Amino acid sequence: MKATRVAAKAALCSTLCALCLCGTVRGVFAQAPNWPSEFPPRPLPARSVNFPPYQIQTLPNGLQVIAVLHHEQPAVSMRMLIRAGSAADPQAKTGLAHLAAALLDQGTTTQSASEFNDAIDFMGATVNTGAGRDLSYANMIVMKDSFDSGLRMLSEMVRHPSFADAEIDRQRQQLLSSLQVSFDDPDFIADAVFDRLVYGFHPYGLPQSGTPDTLASITRADLTAFHQKYFVPNNAILAVVGDVTAEEAFASVRRVFGDWERRDVRGAPSIEPPAPTRRLVVVNKPDAVQTEVRVGHLGIPRNHPDYMAVNLAIRILGGEGSNRLHQVLRTARGLTYGAQADFDTYKESGDFQAETNTRTAATGEVLRLIVDEFWRLQRDRVSERELSDAKAYLTGSFPLTIETPNAIAMQILNVVFFGLPIEQLQTFRDRVNAVTVDDVQRVAKQYLKPDKLSVVLVGNASAFTSELKGVGFPTFETVDLDSLDLTAVDFKASGPLAKRPTP
Amino acid sequence: MAGAALAALVLAAAAPLLAAVRPPRLQYEITTLSNGLTVVLEEDHSTPIVHLNLTYHVGSKNEKAGRTGFAHLFEHLMFKGSKNVDPEGHTSMIASIGGQSNAFTTEDETTFWETAPSQYLPLLLWLEADRMATLRINKETFTNERDVVKEERRLRIDNQPYGRLNEIIYDQAFTTHPYKHQPIGSMADLDAASVDDVLDFYRTFYVPENATLTLVGDIDSQHALQLVTQYLGRVPKAAKPVPRDIPREPPQMAERRVTLRTPWPLPAVVVAYHITNDGNPDSYPLHVAGKVLSDGQSSRIQQKLVYDKQLAVAAFGGPNLIEDPNLFYAVAIVQQGRTPEEVINALIAEFDLLKSQPIADRELQRAKNQFARDYILGRESDQEKARILSHAVVIHHDIKTADGEFEIFQGLTTADVQRVARAYFTADNRTVLTLLPSGRSEPDTK
Repeated sequence: MKATRVAAKAALCSTLCALCLCGTVRGVFAQAPNWPSEFPPRPLPARSVNFPPYQIQTLPNGLQVIAVLHHEQPAVSMRMLIRAGSAADPQAKTGLAHLAAALLDQGTTTQSASEFNDAIDFMGATVNTGAGRDLSYANMIVMKDSFDSGLRMLSEMVRHPSFADAEIDRQRQQLLSSLQVSFDDPDFIADAVFDRLVYGFHPYGLPQSGTPDTLASITRADLTAFHQKYFVPNNAILAVVGDVTAEEAFASVRRVFGDWERRDVRGAPSIEPPAPTRRLVVVNKPDAVQTEVRVGHLGIPRNHPDYMAVNLAIRILGGEGSNRLHQVLRTARGLTYGAQADFDTYKESGDFQAETNTRTAATGEVLRLIVDEFWRLQRDRVSERELSDAKAYLTGSFPLTIETPNAIAMQILNVVFFGLPIEQLQTFRDRVNAVTVDDVQRVAKQYLKPDKLSVVLVGNASAFTSELKGVGFPTFETVDLDSLDLTAVDFKASGPLAKRPTP
Repeated sequence: MAGAALAALVLAAAAPLLAAVRPPRLQYEITTLSNGLTVVLEEDHSTPIVHLNLTYHVGSKNEKAGRTGFAHLFEHLMFKGSKNVDPEGHTSMIASIGGQSNAFTTEDETTFWETAPSQYLPLLLWLEADRMATLRINKETFTNERDVVKEERRLRIDNQPYGRLNEIIYDQAFTTHPYKHQPIGSMADLDAASVDDVLDFYRTFYVPENATLTLVGDIDSQHALQLVTQYLGRVPKAAKPVPRDIPREPPQMAERRVTLRTPWPLPAVVVAYHITNDGNPDSYPLHVAGKVLSDGQSSRIQQKLVYDKQLAVAAFGGPNLIEDPNLFYAVAIVQQGRTPEEVINALIAEFDLLKSQPIADRELQRAKNQFARDYILGRESDQEKARILSHAVVIHHDIKTADGEFEIFQGLTTADVQRVARAYFTADNRTVLTLLPSGRSEPDTK
């Protein structure tokens, strides 16, 4: 008996001694045993930082031209924005803006697609074109010695695309094939269903890249009509960025684009998005190993006076600097690789959405935790510390956002595109710092509607739908991925796979 | 005067091919601290920010058998606190100054980086030193972070169409060298990892002599070096040399053809050849071969397989040039109505054509112009410059290659490209994969 007790004591001692060797802080492995305990060092004196110089001119034909000079690398980037994107698609022709953009670099009235692209590749240039909801774009980057020829090619592709039948068929086939791959991508499906839930049949809610049916119905006449209507100088912005002087940039743009004729643009008025309603849609993908999760509802447009306060509120929910969702889902529980909240803003509207992905078994828990965070943000004042962290990130990161010529150009384009006061570029940090905890509380109460959330779950439905009642969603709709129709009210294809790309 | 100008114009017009624009040279300093840490400094005062790149020369190819994915899992653990820094404190401290920070793990390297307003350089160095010297390791954070990494694997690999493509290619093409495994590793191996593995890995690879610190941005080099010495110079020297015992891949002796089922919407085919390592003289013509085959819409694979014949929805190919000999591979997603066999044959025909005929002078010049473009556009940010400098030191063991490769490229000939094509694009050295959507009947491929 006695002997045993002594032995036990010895064992305990050796355990304690072993623990002591690990260092003074629990769990520290000391590569460096004598490492000091200390606080982080103070910063060096800060350098002042201002928005870099740029110039803006409007040509007589209405083309807005931005020049940003940046002489470090011998390259020039040209970015052309047209103020019309997929939101301008007729409802029966969704995908029109995307197809039109895809065809811009596929031949002009003077060069075939192959000739055009051979010239681009030989110059060592890059071209990319595309469409968003409110805009279409054509970007080109050339080395400085090809600036003039690059600008002329940009003008040709934007003003005189050929929309040749053979190229239309090629690009249509490409879009159909991409759509088929996208329909297997849970991330794409979750975003598309979420947009439909939030924006309904407002153009922002419809599938931007079209459906097999709408893509099939687009004709050359649709494309030329879209181009005729929107691709005019008074509906466009051109940024020239890089190793040129402002005089060179403006003179070349006037020479190349000066004869582009102005025409009145009238877009069709769009319907209002529906008011937020609580609705949960499960898209069943039986082979999924994770569930893609989207939670949110309608927000405010970019030009709204409360933009900055809402921006900070959503950042506290799930942005850099102070991300509650990341803390709750990843740091504390290891339920996801990443969680964030986005504040998407467009010309006519916007939305708030939390997004993450988690192993199938954790779907219910993750949904409950996210919904709780919407409630918490709406109900409780955020702490001074959280707000100041979110503000510190935004103001501190300002110099990081003006490092490269293209990053600078994007900020100017953004302000010009949304018609915001141009001084906003200089006053960014003041506007961030002006937001108070009271402001955040006011906008959270006013705009967040945790009882009216749209929820999308894309995953293996049979493995998690039984949990949904327990986390506050007794009613939900389930749609099989194979019969998902983004244009149907109930998301279900009526005919045999009517809107689904066929294998 | 006028005559000379005119003559110059005529000459310029007569010159058949444009020479590529030369980008400005990097202006760096390199030194080694007494504990073995390599330090590279480059001043760039255009924006008041600084980028720090701390690269440890360890990646998935250093993993022991049965521990795939460990280097990447360890990278995650470096954010779980050290003696003076709380778990996740690193990320939140950087965010609170408006900075960005992250890390990534490749087959060869693990890189930790921060970009921040330049006055915070001391903080960045202090944070990196603290975790290099005194990482906190305990069972709880280890288990939690392992779950996060598993979610990362599900997200990027298992739940994505074509997400497992690289995993399949490398598993089929390699027999011995650890490039057989991707950095993300397998679920079973992640589960098998223990806290002891963590300690061992930390002691072995996270030591100053295995690390290269690169600072680019609004710094004063002399003062920056003082700060680096102050904070990172006190990390003790390693107790033992860093092991470099990576098994070699034996030469492949016969073509491998494999057909697999995958849950993807359209069939994919792969044609892969074993090639040399990054920095080998053959690597540069191989890079040109990649551009001729697949850079831009006028490149051969794009033009023939995608544009003209419409055999493939998408197709690309190129060399994966990294530290140890790797692969040159082409992938095509098969267009509806076409057979995988047709597409495989078309890809192989393109490789064979590079052997039987020299590429056109114009194709070579196009590849050089495209290379110059990548070179210039790849050096816009401090982060990109730091990555290039660090790569030159860690993988090439020669910082001069950060700038010197431009001239090597511009000096290449069509004969160089044909020579390497003949050396590497042989049938015996080839792996051909057909990846069919599961649940579908196998097309006739005879």
